[in-house]
Amino acid sequence: MADTVLQMRDITKRFFSVAALEKVSIDLARGEVHALVGENGAGKSTLMKILSGSYPSSAYEGEVEVNGKKVSFASTHDAERAGIQMIYQEISLNPELSVGENVFLGNLPRRRFPWFVNWTKTNSLTVEALARVGLDVSPRETVRRLSTSQQQLICIAKALYRHPHILVLDEPTSALTETETQTLMGIIAKLRSEGISCIYISHKLDEVFGIADRITVLRDGHVISTTPRADVHPERVIEDMVGRKIETMYPKLKLPLGAERLRVEHFTVASHIPGKNIVEDVSFGVRAGEILGLGGLVGSGRSELVNAIFGSRGRVSGDVFIDGAPVTISSPEDAIRHRVGLLTEDRRTSGFVGTMNIRENTTLASFSKIFGRLFIRRSAEREYAQSYFRQLNVRAPGVETGILSLSGGNQQKVVLAKWLMTDVRVLFLDEPTRGIDVGAKVEIYSLMTELARNGVAIVMISSELPELLAMCDRFVVLAKGRANATFTCEEISDSLFMSAATGMYCRD
Amino acid sequence: MAEQSSPKASAAPQGGGFFRSILRARESGIAIPLFLLIVVVSIVNPVFLDIDNLLNIARQISFVFIIGIAMTFVFVAAGMDLSVGSVLALGGVICGLALRALMLVMPLWLAIVISILLGLLIGLVAGAFNGIVITRFKIPSLIVTLGMMYIARGIVQVLTRGNPVYPFPDEFNNLGQGYLLGVPNVVYVAVVLGILAHIVLTQTAWGRAVFAVGGNTETARLSGINVVKIVTSVYVLCGLASGITGVLTAARLASALANAGTGMELQVIAAVIIGGTSMFGGSGSILGTLIGAAFMSIIANGMVLMKISVYYQSVVIGAIIILAVGIDQFRRRRGGMLGG
Repeated sequence: MADTVLQMRDITKRFFSVAALEKVSIDLARGEVHALVGENGAGKSTLMKILSGSYPSSAYEGEVEVNGKKVSFASTHDAERAGIQMIYQEISLNPELSVGENVFLGNLPRRRFPWFVNWTKTNSLTVEALARVGLDVSPRETVRRLSTSQQQLICIAKALYRHPHILVLDEPTSALTETETQTLMGIIAKLRSEGISCIYISHKLDEVFGIADRITVLRDGHVISTTPRADVHPERVIEDMVGRKIETMYPKLKLPLGAERLRVEHFTVASHIPGKNIVEDVSFGVRAGEILGLGGLVGSGRSELVNAIFGSRGRVSGDVFIDGAPVTISSPEDAIRHRVGLLTEDRRTSGFVGTMNIRENTTLASFSKIFGRLFIRRSAEREYAQSYFRQLNVRAPGVETGILSLSGGNQQKVVLAKWLMTDVRVLFLDEPTRGIDVGAKVEIYSLMTELARNGVAIVMISSELPELLAMCDRFVVLAKGRANATFTCEEISDSLFMSAATGMYCRD
Repeated sequence: MAEQSSPKASAAPQGGGFFRSILRARESGIAIPLFLLIVVVSIVNPVFLDIDNLLNIARQISFVFIIGIAMTFVFVAAGMDLSVGSVLALGGVICGLALRALMLVMPLWLAIVISILLGLLIGLVAGAFNGIVITRFKIPSLIVTLGMMYIARGIVQVLTRGNPVYPFPDEFNNLGQGYLLGVPNVVYVAVVLGILAHIVLTQTAWGRAVFAVGGNTETARLSGINVVKIVTSVYVLCGLASGITGVLTAARLASALANAGTGMELQVIAAVIIGGTSMFGGSGSILGTLIGAAFMSIIANGMVLMKISVYYQSVVIGAIIILAVGIDQFRRRRGGMLGG
């Protein structure tokens, strides 16, 4: 084929004896968006590291052809010169430099007398580059001061400015809001019409089905299927990804609800900007066995609200009642004593301790259960850890396995186990399925249902609208820090939710 | 828990016995070179194995090890304490000055006990100052303890005007110079403290909390661990250990010197690092620190016995520090390879 811009053929990559990729072949046509999906650990990232030159050509078997010519990249620099640009899930900008400096890093426009940077030109070109991704920030702004989603858009602008003919996007929307995701989809569609080819890696199948021309499913280092989007159904793709049939993605049960378990009154939380509040006078209640969806766009104050209730962030005002009685929660210690748990949105920075193993992470918040008056009760600790390990179906050799060697989904299960062990009555779940594979997602949904059945009141935050709508009984939507509207699961719809989240629609 | 018997069944392979746990431990990486070192030195100069020489080494190790114990806690909590050498001098001088004053007005044994306690107390206070400033004002430990290093040394200079504090009664000096059953007293102190510290670090909730705080402060805080209390306490411990070593050093030298413990912080840090404790927090062991301290003392002693100029000692120890950390990094990278 003349218009095949990329051909990766029979790629095999081994780490010691373990094959991460086994004879994987994919190709990419000019102006095509080719989606690459698969669970964590399926080999997507490894494949892309080969394409980006992160693994030099000597480190794997197989061939890579770009525009019909065999290439062997020795470094990422080689790949960039061949017109391949990568956009990663983790933002790879220098937070201390300005937007303009980041966009042109290593490539700053110079004046003719060659030593000095032409800042006027840098800034005007940056504005141009940012306009392409629909971002309106000053080129002189320090990157640190921008939001995560703005930073992600800068990464994209930076990649586009280098005029790639192959663009690889690895989970580019995990930090983006719904609107920004739409903008990005628009950009990709435009690139496609300009003849630029994209490899699009995402867990979010709605995005994949919205944008991709073809979909390749990887599992355990093998290509399971490569099909044009028109010929395949999302459920089929999910089955290919997990290797088994998933009857229902969301095992939601209609449960009889108990009495009100948690009541939050008049919560106001200060933002980091002095004199401003990020949450303003929010009140809500959750009943035993109920899953409450806390909705809103990124920056609407959802995380700040639950952190303030949990006591890990200061509050201006607000009262908490559990089972009808007022409680004072001014630290996470207090919260745990009242059997309230918080699964934070970033498990790596605040969910688990990377230097510890599964056992130690499981028991981290329940010292009173495993330590006697002076010393640890090792057998008790091991029994607890193992029982949660089995209950949550953590996939690892055993509870002594270091948590860093687990996949994101299994790490998340261990963090959940930590909270289950504290016998929570109220559980806040902040983005519980972010960055984890479909199989683990389903397991976490079933676990939520199981907890609700046992009378736990759950408050769930999620930027993935489908899962939020499917899992929750009731919704409180925040917009600009205020509880803008509440809905029951019967009346909610995507559009109603979005109009409330964007502040277009108000109702109590 | 459906099956009650399964925890028992799985307990067997995990127990593994004392020796296997030693072999598996991180410390084995440096224990093997230490063993080789001992073999080489003994062959080149059998004097090394003389009981007097070994006891002398044991005493040297003890001084570094006692502070090293506390420094291990600080490192596990992802901190750093540069003030130990100066606080050591401060503890010794306070103890010495108190002893010289008190022995005139009260029974000797009481004067000795009180002055020792004062020496320990001043170390504790210095450590508490470090800990509180680090946690309350969120100033990096490197900066705070660097400041304390100067402050404590300065107080010592002010108190002594640079002159040694002496003489002390033999009953006191005996602490650092004497023997019990043919073994230096100091060694007993180090052994007892070492065993205690190992138990505290591995068996108690406080020890586990130190690991958690050092591994990930934010996770520890959100899991209900009082991070401020834990971090403060490791610096208190470090100050106390410096005070103990200060008193013992004064007794050993029969005088409290204003420049006692100069460079001690670097020796201790080197011992802890050679012992495999990570500077980034969340891992480490008392046994490792013991091996690290032993390594440094035996190298120094061995080079003298092998008639290599003492001037090379620093070069060799420096190279070993880099090598030890390098090996550790290599092992870790290999261990984590299959992760991502």
